[in-house]
Amino acid sequence: MIMNYSSTVRFTENNPVGNWHDIVAENNTYSGKKHSLIFISLIILILSFMILDIFFGSVSIKASDVIKTLFTNTGSNLETIVLKFRLPKAITALVVGIALSLSGLQMQTVFRNPMAGPYVLGISSGASLGVAFIILGSSLKISPDNLSGIGNWILIAASWAGAGMVMLIIMFISSKVKDIMTILILGIMLSSGISAIVTIMQYFSNETMLKAYVIWTMGSLGNLTTSQLNVLLICVSFGMILSLASVKMLNALLIGENYASSIGLNIRFARVVIFACTSILAGSVTAFCGPIGFIGIAVPHIVRILFKTSDHKILIPGTILVGGAVMLASDIISQLPGYESVLPVNAVTSLIGIPVVIWVILHKRKYSEMF
Amino acid sequence: MEKEKDDILTIDSLEIGYVSGKHVNVLLSPLSASALKGELIALIGRNGIGKSTLLKTITGLQTSFGGEILYGGKRISDYSRMGLAQKVGYISTEIVKVINMSVYDLVALGRYPHTNWLGKIDSKNHEIIMDSIEKTGLSSLRNRFVSELSDGERQRAMIARIFAQDTSIMVMDEPTAFLDIGAKYEILHLMHTLSHDNDKTIIFSTHDLQMAISQSDKIWLIINNNLIEGAPEDLMIKGAFDHIFDDSNLQFNPEQGTFKFMSESKGDIFVSGDGFLRHWTEKAIIRAGFSVSSKKTIPYITVPSESNKKWRLSKNEADCEFVSLYELIRYLSQKESCSS
Repeated sequence: MIMNYSSTVRFTENNPVGNWHDIVAENNTYSGKKHSLIFISLIILILSFMILDIFFGSVSIKASDVIKTLFTNTGSNLETIVLKFRLPKAITALVVGIALSLSGLQMQTVFRNPMAGPYVLGISSGASLGVAFIILGSSLKISPDNLSGIGNWILIAASWAGAGMVMLIIMFISSKVKDIMTILILGIMLSSGISAIVTIMQYFSNETMLKAYVIWTMGSLGNLTTSQLNVLLICVSFGMILSLASVKMLNALLIGENYASSIGLNIRFARVVIFACTSILAGSVTAFCGPIGFIGIAVPHIVRILFKTSDHKILIPGTILVGGAVMLASDIISQLPGYESVLPVNAVTSLIGIPVVIWVILHKRKYSEMF
Repeated sequence: MEKEKDDILTIDSLEIGYVSGKHVNVLLSPLSASALKGELIALIGRNGIGKSTLLKTITGLQTSFGGEILYGGKRISDYSRMGLAQKVGYISTEIVKVINMSVYDLVALGRYPHTNWLGKIDSKNHEIIMDSIEKTGLSSLRNRFVSELSDGERQRAMIARIFAQDTSIMVMDEPTAFLDIGAKYEILHLMHTLSHDNDKTIIFSTHDLQMAISQSDKIWLIINNNLIEGAPEDLMIKGAFDHIFDDSNLQFNPEQGTFKFMSESKGDIFVSGDGFLRHWTEKAIIRAGFSVSSKKTIPYITVPSESNKKWRLSKNEADCEFVSLYELIRYLSQKESCSS
């Protein structure tokens, strides 16, 4: 990686002192301009992916017809497909990508561990345990696709509880053990333990419940009802606001808890906020879309490579944009093989995310030095 | 009273320690000490005696088990975390390792207790950050990543960070521990400047007793379960350093302020000559395990002069001459025979 600090313009006393943006721009003209450029490109990328995602699908629709249905009221079958299915699915992809990536970024900072992510450390597994309790364990005959109103909130709350439980365990362990790989292995052990519990639950549940659960585990962006999408939007928006409000705390946590505390951070408060935020983000997505892997761990690394900064004022918006774009791309790829079949989105995200994770492991020395 | 105003840190019957399981391990007997404005204070004591624990307790990162810590007459427990961060800054032995963090970003974190909830760096904060970077001589490295700096540069960046934090007290745990000798003196000089020119009170722990004695205004010496404070010279006169390493063979030389290993002398040698050559000749024979005699005895060494460019060792039986101290010492250690 070639760093570009040499071309930065020096701040001199002659520079007019304006507001914060001016100063940052003058202090760091090159990287400031570069960052804006990347942000603009990412927004364009997301918009194009949104459009592509709506154009592709198991039914071939002409581009002109798609545009026509989006802006006029034709009342045809096409309208049902585009407005009731494809558009919500694209929005879901965007929201899921944002939520998982943000949760991954915050976990990596708070644990100071480049291998942290909701899926790898078992947070998604924890959420799925919560969901399994509701689908398999309750006599409510709840299945994710026939839920509405209060049922959605029960499912999502169970998911948060499961995610939060694993998050607590990982937080406890990482306060004792500092080694990145040890925590990673413990995360895998936790995931396996949880799957074992879920398997036992499956053994004792009836066929309808089992089917509902198995379909849920495959991970899907397209099965959400309107009310579920609304609940997901509310929760992820809340998580996004919480993450943006945590920028200062996250920056302080970068230098470790002792130093963070010495510059005035209330560690307990910061932990509670970030803990709640990651559990809500990862838990909500898992409740409705199933466990989706490797987005949370991979996206923050892509963002760091793109922006070359440690400042969460840049990293958080960057993660929101890259996370959304990667998930939309995964959804587009999952529809590529043909018009009849759709790949499980979980398989696509794994194939995108795993190379990034392997790259990080291979650069472990460099990374563990810097975290 | 003027003194009241300057008295910025007082610790009174402070009990420090740590909790392990359900047990509270109190490390030392109650400690009392004080720090005034602009003082450079060295904390000295044997390894594992509790220097780091004391520094962490002063900074509020660890709880005390009795006694008081007063900042400007106000108890530490009456400060919020943010309020305390405006009073005291801290550098530990932990090395900051963050990917993609620039020197500017690291120093900017020092402004944490002075910025709003979003951590907005306005023009005033920016000026303070730039000033701290300049003061520590890092202007040209401002946009470099911290992970790319040398140990000394990184330590300067850490000091710039607490300077930007704008606290009256800076606490540093072994700030020169992992530095080479050049960087060590650079950092020490910087600390000296900050305390004497910028009125910062700096409390730092160190193992380098010679450096502490020659540079600091005051020493906090932890010895025999207690803390003794005073000017280095006062402590010297009291003989406080004599027993700092009482288990070992280290002996403190109160006149030179240096340590040497106690070992049985191999004999007395007198050095005849003047100045520079005599000084280093004496050093060499002490290193070889001999004592320097103050009156002319036999054997004696004559240092090189205009007439004789060699060192001459005069003994009862015969004289020997050597072209270098190296050869002389080899002979005295009975590793080589007399060449003349």
